[in-house]
Amino acid sequence: MKQLDYDVVVIGGGPAGMAAALKAKEKGATVAVIERNDELGGILNQCIHSGFGLSYFKQELTGPEYAELFINQVAAAGIDIFLKTMVIDLNPEHQVKAMNEDGMLVLAAGAIVLAMGCRERTRGAIKIPGSRPAGVLTAGLAQRYVNIENRKPGERIVILGSGDIGLIMARRLTLEGMQVLGVYELMPYANGLYRNIKNCLDDFDIPLHLSTTVTNIIGHPHLEAIEVARVDENLAVIEATREVIACDTLLLSIGLIPENELSQKSGVSLNPRTNGPLVNETLETDQPGIFACGNVLHVHDLVDNVTLEAEQAGEAAADYALQQKAAATVKATRLADNKVAITISPGENVGYTVPAKLSVPSQKATRILFRVRQPMDQAAVVIQAGTKILYQSKTRAFKPSVMEAVVLKPEEINGLNGIEKTITVSVREVK
Amino acid sequence: MNHYDIIIIGGGITGTAIARECSKYQLTAALLERGTDIGIGATKGNGGVVHPGYDPTPGSLKAKINVRGANLYPQLARDLNFGIINPGIFVIGFSDADEAVLKHKLEFGIKNGVRDLAIIDASQMRNREPHLAADAKNALYAPTATVVDPFEVAIAFAENAKANGVDILTSQPVIAIKKRADGRFQLITPDQQFSCSYIVNAAGNHADEVARLAGITEYQMKPRHGDLLVLDKDMVNKPQTVMFPCPGPDTKGIACIPTVHGNTIVGSTATMVDDKEAVNNYGPGIQALIDGIHKILPELDAGKIIRTFAGLRPVVLDNNNDFFIAESQTVTGFIHAAGIQSPGVASAPAIAEQVRDLLDNAGLKIVPKSDYNPYREKSIDFDALSMAEQDALIHQNPAYGRIVCRCETVTEGEIIAAIHGEIPARTLDAIKRRTRAGMGRCQSGFCQYKVIAILSRELGMPVSDICLEDRGSQMLCGPVKGGAK
Repeated sequence: MKQLDYDVVVIGGGPAGMAAALKAKEKGATVAVIERNDELGGILNQCIHSGFGLSYFKQELTGPEYAELFINQVAAAGIDIFLKTMVIDLNPEHQVKAMNEDGMLVLAAGAIVLAMGCRERTRGAIKIPGSRPAGVLTAGLAQRYVNIENRKPGERIVILGSGDIGLIMARRLTLEGMQVLGVYELMPYANGLYRNIKNCLDDFDIPLHLSTTVTNIIGHPHLEAIEVARVDENLAVIEATREVIACDTLLLSIGLIPENELSQKSGVSLNPRTNGPLVNETLETDQPGIFACGNVLHVHDLVDNVTLEAEQAGEAAADYALQQKAAATVKATRLADNKVAITISPGENVGYTVPAKLSVPSQKATRILFRVRQPMDQAAVVIQAGTKILYQSKTRAFKPSVMEAVVLKPEEINGLNGIEKTITVSVREVK
Repeated sequence: MNHYDIIIIGGGITGTAIARECSKYQLTAALLERGTDIGIGATKGNGGVVHPGYDPTPGSLKAKINVRGANLYPQLARDLNFGIINPGIFVIGFSDADEAVLKHKLEFGIKNGVRDLAIIDASQMRNREPHLAADAKNALYAPTATVVDPFEVAIAFAENAKANGVDILTSQPVIAIKKRADGRFQLITPDQQFSCSYIVNAAGNHADEVARLAGITEYQMKPRHGDLLVLDKDMVNKPQTVMFPCPGPDTKGIACIPTVHGNTIVGSTATMVDDKEAVNNYGPGIQALIDGIHKILPELDAGKIIRTFAGLRPVVLDNNNDFFIAESQTVTGFIHAAGIQSPGVASAPAIAEQVRDLLDNAGLKIVPKSDYNPYREKSIDFDALSMAEQDALIHQNPAYGRIVCRCETVTEGEIIAAIHGEIPARTLDAIKRRTRAGMGRCQSGFCQYKVIAILSRELGMPVSDICLEDRGSQMLCGPVKGGAK
């Protein structure tokens, strides 16, 4: 059994893991990245469409191209890369148990970066009635089959859910000669990015049916048809609108869930609103020295944002590990900082915030990410402590599909003296 | 044409238990299963509770068989190396009227010989189950009750039977049965013919159709459908006990069932249906399960549902919900093991003994084999090994160092072993039942393509021929672009 020692161990070699590892290495830490697949890049490798990198690299790249830019840097940086290696346990003492074809290994780390990504919600989660035939699969799995395995899942396709992967796949399957009959969305608005509705559905005349869902799955042993129906404003099925559509494939694009099985093994507390770890402004979880970034923390719409977030986590992890090491050599303990902890709480029309905690006074600007619950045409972000307004944005439109970011300057928060223990992020309609 | 003393029709938990029983004696036997794997009818559509036997009317055949079968399970689990847990059962009363029913069940249970039954009060219940509904007053507690994974049990029975000489044949639907002049039966499947002296009909929901093939019209059957839910292993405040509400006249009610693997099952509804293939989930049924279990566990998180499934209980009509285990009155040598609805899992081992006795009565010589081996080796469960054992195993075979299913920590080595096992797994679902690959919270979203590739490689079949379960359930069609393998 192999035993190894690093300042920072990054779990996951997708875009988050690679950016975190590079930043940690740049700060002078010894770094290992552990990746379960046979190459770095994560899910980007199967995202062969373009649209990546517009904000980070200021150019439009495909998923594999975006990944490659990081893979090359990681390879050149002197970071130890473990491929085809699966982490099976992580404890609060930063001990990582992993395995690969060479056997079991144990890595001891000064700090950990969680970057395991997310998984797709499945049929069971939304409890669609009907038979359980072949031909029902998640959009991401279909993407794997078509783009990597070179296999068609079927010929006549219906997509449930207007998440971005489903929209991308609607276009992809159409380009590959399959017939995409329509995209059905339970909510009265689309869940994917506007540009994807435009480029992937509208440009290919694929209908998007809002306030409509799949109410039955028909066929055994293979899918033969689905039943769809419109829903009212309470999301209840309108009986008279039930309609059967013949198809051989149903793709589900009904949401993503951060993969936090390992985080939980290490004792990290999760935010029930994001299913990701509760983190402070350095992206540190409530387990000291364990940081999180990317889709394991909260589901992002753009990889560029993942990269930025991961760089922050990688830097913080390296700082933590190196400080701990320095402190250990002089037999001192980590400086107890004289700071006040503030809870950031989602207010009106805000689903969640990352981070959920920050501490003041702060020398650095704090970036708060969040999503709105409902679309709003004329609204503004308002951040307040009690009745005191700390920040107010310009008036504009907001959509749940877009992740929002507000940067609070130190002077905007350092006035908080601990009497107000909570600040609230709201998005309010402006008349 | 292959001749056997006995042919068992149907490879569910009943048929495979009978096959194993037959394998103990000096006789020849085969089991014919119409599906692509064993244990894929009613056996895979239930909650796995080994009911201890307080339900059946004292003195009935069902009472005797149920209690005997349940008592055999702990030893069977040791001999055959299948998973078993002992969570016990609460049958929960919410009113004075319920209490009368519980006392009645207690009395039945004591008369039937169920051990250690007791009525317990609310505080005793809450000691074990702190999240129980506030209005739960008392319960019949059956501490001996166990839970198994029914398809694991059927596979274990079948593998042990096969190791002891019984032929287990899948994809063999019997389409014709003739009684020949020499008194032997001739059985025809789409691609083979068999002859035998005795037939055991364990065809589940199709037992009446199989009987009719032999000219027997002694009973008719109809399925009683049930919806079930599976909840994630990581659900907080998981129940430790199987908990039923005090039953109504037709059903045991909606229960929570801790499983061998750490999930929780909620089941099941009970609706008589006409279609014997309709293992569909019904929307109202799923809602009834959620509403029903919230009466027992009001805080149970329905957001932790990872899968819904359904089963059809085989019910012989006009038979007081009893089993139909008897030799045919019109065709000698034809034994029915039909109508095995609840408690079919508990009863299976005792039904097998009963069938053996019926065969004995019917004139078959039952002589024990000296070389019968009652034990089944456990296949490797990587996740259950110590780290040193895992390390040694990988060094011996690197396929065990490749994780395929990350949710359930299943390695390629385990999948290859299942494909080449005693009863070979040839479909995605067959792999899932043996290894749990695809059974976790991502429901095969990450591992399905890998399992398809492994099946394709190991079986020498194109990926487009790999099925989910039944014939015609191919997962993929042709290549996106020409020229792919």
